[in-house]
Amino acid sequence: MTTPAVELDGIWKRFPGVIANSGANLTVRPGTVHAVLGENGAGKTTLMNCLAGVYRPDEGTIRIDGQEVRFSSPADAIAAGVGMVHQEFRLVPTFTVAENVVLGAAPRIVNRARIDGEVAALAERFGFRAEPERPVWQLSMGERQRVEILKALWRDARILILDEPTAVLTPQEAQELGAVLRTMVADGRSVIFISHKLDEVTAFCDEATVLRGGSTVAASVEVAAVDAAELARLMVGDVAAPPVNRRDTGAGEVVLSVRDLSVIDARGITAVDGVSLEVRSGEILGIAGVAGNGQRALTDAIAGLQRTATGTVEITGRDITTASPRARHKAGLAYVPEDRLGVGLAPKLPITENAIMREYQALRRGPLLSWSTARTFCDGLVQRFEVKVGRVEAPMASLSGGNLQRLLLGRELSGEPEVVVASQPTRGLDVAGVRAIQQLLVAQRDQGTGVLMVSEDLDELLALADRIIVMVEGRIVGEFDARTTSRIEIGEAMIGSRRADA
Amino acid sequence: MKRLVLARREIPTRGGQPVAFLFGLAFALLVGAILMQISGDPAIDVYHRMWERSLGSTDTWSVTFNRAVPLALAGLAVSIAATMGLWNIGAEGQILFGATAATLVGRLFPDWPGPVLITTMLIAAAIGGALWALGPGLAKAELGVSEIITTLMLTEVAIRLITYLEQGPWKDPEGFGFPTVTERPPQAELGDLWDRTHIGVLLAFATIGAFAWFINRSVWGYELRIAGSSRHTAAYAGISMRRKVLGVLLLSGAVAGFAGGIELTGTAVRLNAQISNGYGFAGIIVAALALMRPSAIPLVALAFGAVQVGGQSIQTSLGVSPAVSTILQALILFGAIGAAVFSNYRVVAVDRQVPTG
Repeated sequence: MTTPAVELDGIWKRFPGVIANSGANLTVRPGTVHAVLGENGAGKTTLMNCLAGVYRPDEGTIRIDGQEVRFSSPADAIAAGVGMVHQEFRLVPTFTVAENVVLGAAPRIVNRARIDGEVAALAERFGFRAEPERPVWQLSMGERQRVEILKALWRDARILILDEPTAVLTPQEAQELGAVLRTMVADGRSVIFISHKLDEVTAFCDEATVLRGGSTVAASVEVAAVDAAELARLMVGDVAAPPVNRRDTGAGEVVLSVRDLSVIDARGITAVDGVSLEVRSGEILGIAGVAGNGQRALTDAIAGLQRTATGTVEITGRDITTASPRARHKAGLAYVPEDRLGVGLAPKLPITENAIMREYQALRRGPLLSWSTARTFCDGLVQRFEVKVGRVEAPMASLSGGNLQRLLLGRELSGEPEVVVASQPTRGLDVAGVRAIQQLLVAQRDQGTGVLMVSEDLDELLALADRIIVMVEGRIVGEFDARTTSRIEIGEAMIGSRRADA
Repeated sequence: MKRLVLARREIPTRGGQPVAFLFGLAFALLVGAILMQISGDPAIDVYHRMWERSLGSTDTWSVTFNRAVPLALAGLAVSIAATMGLWNIGAEGQILFGATAATLVGRLFPDWPGPVLITTMLIAAAIGGALWALGPGLAKAELGVSEIITTLMLTEVAIRLITYLEQGPWKDPEGFGFPTVTERPPQAELGDLWDRTHIGVLLAFATIGAFAWFINRSVWGYELRIAGSSRHTAAYAGISMRRKVLGVLLLSGAVAGFAGGIELTGTAVRLNAQISNGYGFAGIIVAALALMRPSAIPLVALAFGAVQVGGQSIQTSLGVSPAVSTILQALILFGAIGAAVFSNYRVVAVDRQVPTG
């Protein structure tokens, strides 16, 4: 039996009011890709942060190659050969790829040409494409992720932790990542792959450890020998997810009409290219597509956060193409943006102040804001949408992802909208949160509201939507009836035109 | 073998800032003493004298309180801009132009009764300060030009403007040929609260209280916080970033200009380029030490005022360079920032040996 590359034994980590890890174990054999599976909030990221030196565990031991270590900073972990690629990248946008890779670990005298060459050689060794001279701000999310991996490899990480790496990738990029991981383990390195997506685990990983509620419920399961359904059961516990009820309410009149809409984004790229669509009252129109195919620009344009190049947007027959975001909201548009914390909420401000963001003008008393009314309004939202909060004066960011989204969606729905535009409303939420958000959207549809829902989760769209349209490179390439279509049919449309272009 | 390293606290300690400030003060006094011993000055005597002359008697309190007024207002000006992530580092220029505007009013209406004249002068000073911030505000709001550069550079312009007024249009005919501006009307002098503490102290602290309250309670302040959170969130909530940027810089300028008006009517008798005396720049430090919170500004300003006033006294009475005061101010900031690190980090001893792969 070889010495494990990583051994985490009985790790406990407590935060005020939360126990993130309660006796979690993990053993990773060298030269393998090891999945750490679990729902959001299962303690995956905390456990990995303990291994990467970001947190210090309250209890438990960490052994690297059989030797016990105590990290007091990520630098210690890196020195011991542990590198982590976090969900949010830590890159300097104005620096080039090579500069980012060597930042903090550069030779004393920086010879740009030599470093560019070395970084390129390193990339090639692991089967990457890399352009060392390109500034990072020009790169796609997938390319940025490769820079992060290169950073770890440059520091000679022998144990690489990837925190939900495929969340930002196209399926193609995800496959490329899989190949890179294979090269790395062939080189004798070990990879820890955090995920809550089963198909990725079965595709990329050798072994899997499942966390639930902060502790390990299944350790080092051999992926090839286990049923995916069994892993899923371990992950979520014994509760089977009931499908969301679909009720055929029959669609009514058109509440949102988009005609020939085009958007040219800040980089001068045509993000949305002549899109026309209609959402009727009492229906959910789903937009499927690989992330980065113009969905965000489309929903931002509908909400008035993105300038349009051509086309018109109407809500219940009223042209709002040039209206302000606030006027659109008044006209009956609710918007759940993809970037909840950066667009839809102010994370450092109190929950109350986030709750009243749409309604604060109505709380005006002369130049002052009526804070007592604001608090009543906030309490109402919290109760009606079952948001779990401690004190409403606490910063918004202190809420968990699911509760953040409940408050955001609740705030948007409380204005009795005609149309709800929801962009990735369930992404990153745990099972309970996903179900709650889905039920709210379905209930809203049943009340006669039109819903436009962007999602990367095909199963979600198939379960919820009445019609599904597919976006590729800013264009609509197909429309399907959700009752009669299949995953395969939509999946083909999502990648179809890519293939044609290639 | 152990080594000491900084480890990040997952939860910053509460109330770290007052402790950090006190540490900064202690650190400054200690390092200052070492420096004075090296340069051959008696540190204990110097500190004793500084204490006596700044906080040692009710009479000296007046000087310290008066000194805290422009420091606190400049600090408030900086912190208002900072709520939106803007840096008004040209409060110095806005103080100068505020005083200039107040002087103009004094020249136009030299016969008005004191209270009316003073009120008008102070309003003019605030408007003047806002005007001096108008250019940077417009440039930032419309073109995205960095307010850091423009506000700073306009300080130089304000100094040159006063030099011009001294030598030309506003030159005192009874100044024996010296380039000075004619004195302000004598009735335009702020009354005293007690001893020599002028009413400006009350005005300044009331202004700060009013702002702290207004920003917390008003729609405008709420919008400011949203806009300061993220420009995308502001757009989503229907808040015009341009108007907020312009508004906040105008307000910041007005507060600084108001300080200039109070200086002119409180402690000075005529306009000159030294009337701002570095308050605009010290205000940045005051605001930083107060963590941009208006409620903490008065205390920090008083402490800074004491150090400044004490520092000046040692030159006249002990012949020690007033640079001591400047050094102490810098050391306080240095020490406090250094100490603030410990509310986010802690020192831990770890084994030196870290296994490598």
